[in-house]
Amino acid sequence: MARIVGGVGCSHAPSIAHSFDRGLQNDPVWAPLYKGYEPAKAWLDKLKPDLIVAVYNDHMNRFFFDAYPTFALGVSDKHPQADEGWGKRDLPDLPGDAEFSWHLAQSLVEDEFDPTICQEMTVDHGILSILPLLTDNRWPAPLVPFAANVIQHPLPTPKRFFHLGQAIRRAVESYPKDLRVLVVATGGMSHQLHGDRFGFMNPDWDNEFLDLLEHDPQKLVNLRHHDYMERGGAESVEMIMWLAMRAALGEKVRRIHRHYYAPMLTGYGLIVFEGADA
Amino acid sequence: MTATYRGTPIAGTTVFTGARSRQGYRINKFAMSLTDPSKRDAFRADERGYMTSCGLTEAEMDLVAKRDWKGLVAAGGNIYVLIKVGGSVGQNLLQMGAQMRGQSFEEFMQSRPARQGAAIERKN
Repeated sequence: MARIVGGVGCSHAPSIAHSFDRGLQNDPVWAPLYKGYEPAKAWLDKLKPDLIVAVYNDHMNRFFFDAYPTFALGVSDKHPQADEGWGKRDLPDLPGDAEFSWHLAQSLVEDEFDPTICQEMTVDHGILSILPLLTDNRWPAPLVPFAANVIQHPLPTPKRFFHLGQAIRRAVESYPKDLRVLVVATGGMSHQLHGDRFGFMNPDWDNEFLDLLEHDPQKLVNLRHHDYMERGGAESVEMIMWLAMRAALGEKVRRIHRHYYAPMLTGYGLIVFEGADA
Repeated sequence: MTATYRGTPIAGTTVFTGARSRQGYRINKFAMSLTDPSKRDAFRADERGYMTSCGLTEAEMDLVAKRDWKGLVAAGGNIYVLIKVGGSVGQNLLQMGAQMRGQSFEEFMQSRPARQGAAIERKN
């Protein structure tokens, strides 16, 4: 039987990809972010998961508003990188796991989650900005991309993401192969990228979110999108995807690592959990 | 109390609702097309000609010509696709944001925690 062995919540941003590609790891503005990832990287290196399930959002690189899926699941053995409008980065395609993905599709649909099933799924900075910070391997394990609409309202509710995480756990635990699975959720934290409030960040709220995610996620489940947008900026509402990761780990978690840094436009958060249920 | 956003205003914020997406459809479709390198080249070679082929209105084309990101958001543009237009014309998100706030790039950058020596790490 497969099982979930860990969870990571982390921000994603084109700026992170840019800093990585420009070699700014030791730049004074960027060094704290990269140093903050070191313990997570060491943990992942030891953990050696067989598979990664990533809950994230696409930024109009794979999907457009002509037909925008609320949930979409990549089910192929390979996920090429999308060109986001400024050329592709020097990274190999992500490996997938078609067999597990189709099992996940079956299990989710039986569990009343109905994602768009994608045999061609390109991935963008929602996954690729952050993965090179978590590992020096290209890549450490096959990855199953699960994209959610957190851009065009109406969005799935925070509660829906929590239930999604529980459904992902049931899918993993009903898979016959003995796989050790890491669940990653990306997005946020506080940021607003448009209007008079462009550049808004709220480190206090971001850290409260991290506290609640660990100890009392139901408080986060019960907030409205409006609350997230007001506290963290309109685009920060994507933080609700972290609830899927949290729920996938079970009721109790052991925190392995936590880091937060907000230098420019986005609160960069990172949290690493292991499940602690008996 | 519904979780799903239903139009309650938030200061300085234009939530990307269905109505916005409908209003900005042409702009956003044009912007997303720039994920194709050959279309970026076509746009750079003849901005007006390319936008005309995408069916943008004169008013929408004027907003792009003026690099008026604030105006493009007001016209239904979504920032995640507008950055593809920015990228094609050599403006990054920070520059676009300064324009939206009505500030010079330098003024905006001075407001950033990293510039103010206030970007504090938190580990717990």
